[in-house]
Amino acid sequence: MMLLKLLTWPYVRKHKLRTCLTIAGIALGVVIFVGMRTANDSVLYGFQQTVDRIAGKAQLQVTSSEAGFPEEILEKVQSAVEVDVAVPVIEATAATGLAGQGNLLILGVDMTGDRSLREYDLEEGEQSVIDDPLVFLAQPDSIMVSRDFAVRNGLTTGGKLALDTMDGPKQFTVRGVMKPGGLASAFGGNLAIMDIYATQKVFGRGRMFDRIDISLKLEVSVERGKAALEKILGPGLQVDPPSSRGKQFESISRLFSIGASLNSLFALMIGLFIIYNTFSIAVAQRRSEIGILRSLGASRGQIRGLFVLESAVLGLIGSLVGVVFGLLLARGMAGYLSNFLGEVYGVAQKTESVAADPRLLLFAVLTGILTSIVAAWIPARDASQVDPVKALHKGGYEMFSERENRLRRMLALAFGAAALALLFSGGTAGPRLYGGYLCVLAAAVLLTPSLVRRVVALLRPAMKWLLPVEGSLAADSLVQSPRRTSATVAAVMLAVALVVGLGGVANASYSSIHDWMTAALNPDLFVGSSESLTDRSFRFPASMGEEIRRMEGVEDVQIVRTTRVLYDGAPVMLVATSLESLARRIHPKVVAGDPSTMYRLAGEGKGVIVADNLALLHRLKLGDMLELPTPTGMLRLPVIGITIDYSDQQGAFLLDRTLVVRYWKDDTANLFRVYLQKGVTPAEGKRRILERFGGQRRLFVMTNEQVRTYIMKVTDQWFGLTYMQIFVAVLVAVLGIVNSLTVSITDRRRELGVLQAVGALRRQVRQAIWMEAAGIGLVSIILGLALGGVILFYYLGIIREDLAGLRLEYQYPFNIALLLIPTMLGAALVSSIAPAESAVRASLVEALEYE
Amino acid sequence: MIELRAVSKRFDGKRSVTALDGVDLSIAKGEMVSIVGPSGSGKSTLLNLIGGLDHPSSGDLLIDGASLVHVSDDELTRVRRDKIGFIFQFFNLLPTLSCLENVSLPLHLRGWNRKQINERARELLDLVQLGKRLEHLPEELSGGERQRVAIARALSVYPPILLADEPTGNLDSQTGAEILRLIRDLQTRLNATILIVTHDMGVAESCRRTIRLRDGRIVEDIRREDIRREDIRR
Repeated sequence: MMLLKLLTWPYVRKHKLRTCLTIAGIALGVVIFVGMRTANDSVLYGFQQTVDRIAGKAQLQVTSSEAGFPEEILEKVQSAVEVDVAVPVIEATAATGLAGQGNLLILGVDMTGDRSLREYDLEEGEQSVIDDPLVFLAQPDSIMVSRDFAVRNGLTTGGKLALDTMDGPKQFTVRGVMKPGGLASAFGGNLAIMDIYATQKVFGRGRMFDRIDISLKLEVSVERGKAALEKILGPGLQVDPPSSRGKQFESISRLFSIGASLNSLFALMIGLFIIYNTFSIAVAQRRSEIGILRSLGASRGQIRGLFVLESAVLGLIGSLVGVVFGLLLARGMAGYLSNFLGEVYGVAQKTESVAADPRLLLFAVLTGILTSIVAAWIPARDASQVDPVKALHKGGYEMFSERENRLRRMLALAFGAAALALLFSGGTAGPRLYGGYLCVLAAAVLLTPSLVRRVVALLRPAMKWLLPVEGSLAADSLVQSPRRTSATVAAVMLAVALVVGLGGVANASYSSIHDWMTAALNPDLFVGSSESLTDRSFRFPASMGEEIRRMEGVEDVQIVRTTRVLYDGAPVMLVATSLESLARRIHPKVVAGDPSTMYRLAGEGKGVIVADNLALLHRLKLGDMLELPTPTGMLRLPVIGITIDYSDQQGAFLLDRTLVVRYWKDDTANLFRVYLQKGVTPAEGKRRILERFGGQRRLFVMTNEQVRTYIMKVTDQWFGLTYMQIFVAVLVAVLGIVNSLTVSITDRRRELGVLQAVGALRRQVRQAIWMEAAGIGLVSIILGLALGGVILFYYLGIIREDLAGLRLEYQYPFNIALLLIPTMLGAALVSSIAPAESAVRASLVEALEYE
Repeated sequence: MIELRAVSKRFDGKRSVTALDGVDLSIAKGEMVSIVGPSGSGKSTLLNLIGGLDHPSSGDLLIDGASLVHVSDDELTRVRRDKIGFIFQFFNLLPTLSCLENVSLPLHLRGWNRKQINERARELLDLVQLGKRLEHLPEELSGGERQRVAIARALSVYPPILLADEPTGNLDSQTGAEILRLIRDLQTRLNATILIVTHDMGVAESCRRTIRLRDGRIVEDIRREDIRREDIRR
């Protein structure tokens, strides 16, 4: 510790900028990790909090995933001897239409029995509503709101609140205002209570409930109650504690969560190279100091310990800074992410506050420190091996020894061979795929010094031709300092490769989504119950589809019911429609199965067509027997076709709607796919439908173009988050260039001084440094573009096999590569401005005296 | 050629140090002048000011009648590149450049064409008897050879003024004498004004004029016929 104070502190004070850059290298990785994960956790926490508050004293909940079930189930549940109270619930969101208020979570309950489970703590004088639920029930326009919501919108008892219902906009009367806390604070306070039968009507739910909340008799344990109810209800309905809903939401948003973690760890890895670079240079610069210490009796262990401790301290500072800024980022992102996840997955949740998990923060700090120590380990080892006799000799230490070079090349070769061996031994999936990916990264990083030397040698004539003196000096500086140069190049190369890899995934995704939209989304109009295609709160009666079909100018209508059902423990999208009609209209890419018969057979209820992503994620193949839990029992169907279908990130089943009506007792629809007759424009068709139904029903008519735009907007939002992470990775890499150039200028102070002494103008010195930065940028781009092409292959494999089950085609993202060249060169040049200025403004006299 | 009028240079730090204190000096074209004095007397500071590497704190400094005070850094650089050649004690060759490239460096910086640069650099390396070591890197040369490359580089544009800071300080006595002979020979051939900062009495004696500094002031200005070993030792 004393050594740290005596030796490190003065060095750090002397190199403030470099120290800051090093800290920033770690901090940025931690920021993105903490920010994204905390924002994600906050959304999950917000969801769970809403679930808990709404659940009240419920110990168990009966659901049929999201699909709902017929009312009769309630009687079965209530008849169980283990059950004390069982009440039905419908949960739905509705747009308030009030400026800045967003959605209102409406809880439809049976007021006569619900108070046994939930506390409706009303304001003074309004208790009669609850004391006599018939008052509430007798008036179907009754609604209760939280005080928070009432105050924000100037509502009082007896006041009117307009809500969109399936029968068009309606005025509701506020019959009670709930005191803050508990139930009233669920969903950020945007909560309203309605009678369950009124809710069924408002949301077009027919005679269905979403779930039954249960409290058990005192002597019955949750496990016993669950087992008893499962026995009574059969396998088609799920009986779980309220907390399991959080897990389901977590599994739905898993892809986002994993993506955020992977990218932040990648950013941290780039930070690792910055630290490695800084410590390598510090060891080189403090060589004589180390030599003196060694000659004074310091052991190798003490020297190594000094640098490791130094790195741990920097890592700690960087991590703490990262945690603070990460929490600020999470605060900014949580709301956005909440809306985004609601949009993508159609799950109602509201993030009220940032939920900072102390374990996550501790993990981030420890990871930051560990990364810093790992990065500094090799330089620290080098420091401990400094020969005290040679320590005062100048030069040579910037170079790698031939032995080190050979070792690196051999290791790189070994990793390369291992990657190839893994690939050709079935390494396109599972641990071998990840192993291959890591081997490729290791080989690339180890080969960087050799590749840098070769690429710079190739670039030198061009640089020299461009600016004879400046170009040569820049190229030579890069070659002469492989330690410094290659660590920076490795960091920037990884950033470029990350951009190419993720950009390639984005390109392939856009391209696949576009193909799918062309093949499968070809109706002229989509009539939905909500502005968002993923919100399934409101439902239409199927008869409305028939009414549309009979309208003038309409050629065909497909009645669609989508819902999430539980398959293999995960909530999976079920898409039900008339498959006979669908087969005539769409031509999706078929991965397996006979396109000429599979739709007919599925239309006859003899099988199910599965989206390719679902098949890949759940290892399903043609002929496999699927078991789907339904309120009337298990539905067993063979897989008769696998097609490319991007209806949902988790995958989708395509069933004939008659099966949903039969097994789920659900005759409602969320969407009508409308094909117009020739000669009828989409605008005209839309106008006619709105004219016919606009006054009576809540409905949204979107043209094909609007739906495509909507899907592309959601895709853009999805990749927008990825691009933000890419931006941070590039920023970390740019910090690496600034760091490297700052070090380079310190090292070459004398050389730059001589250059000016013999007549170089400031402009020329600047140009030499700019050329060096451009050289680093160019070499990194060349290597990064090549590495990116390889890691894209692995990314597509990981996405296909583990993350999303998407079979994306490999296409090198040349557009992104072309964009990257000027961007990274520009970034490199911008990052060289400050170091170049510091070089030209340094004292010439001091530079020439420098020794 | 070179004129200093009441030139002072102070270094302001925790404690202010006056390196030169009201120096008046005039050096004519073609003179070969040595500057001697104990460490800290202001020799190198004087050379740095004349070479345009640093600005005086007060006073005026003129080269060919043009003041170097209050000019921009780029103008100062132009004066350096057109009129002044530097020879350093530690040679200050760029380690990554060959002999030919090191000598060519100032010419490249002036934007000469490649053919002219090549001709001039070869001619100068021939002059310093290194015509057969054109492609050698500095680390492949002896100390004396490195200094000869440095001299060739300093002479690359035939500057009218040559400033040498301890040119033989890092060489053995025999090599030092050779370098000195070379400088004298070049002075005669090119009629350059040469200022040499030195601790070496032999070097100082070989100049027609010797200026002795102490505590930032000129305490003696000795012509060649006057200079004696004991004077320098004082």
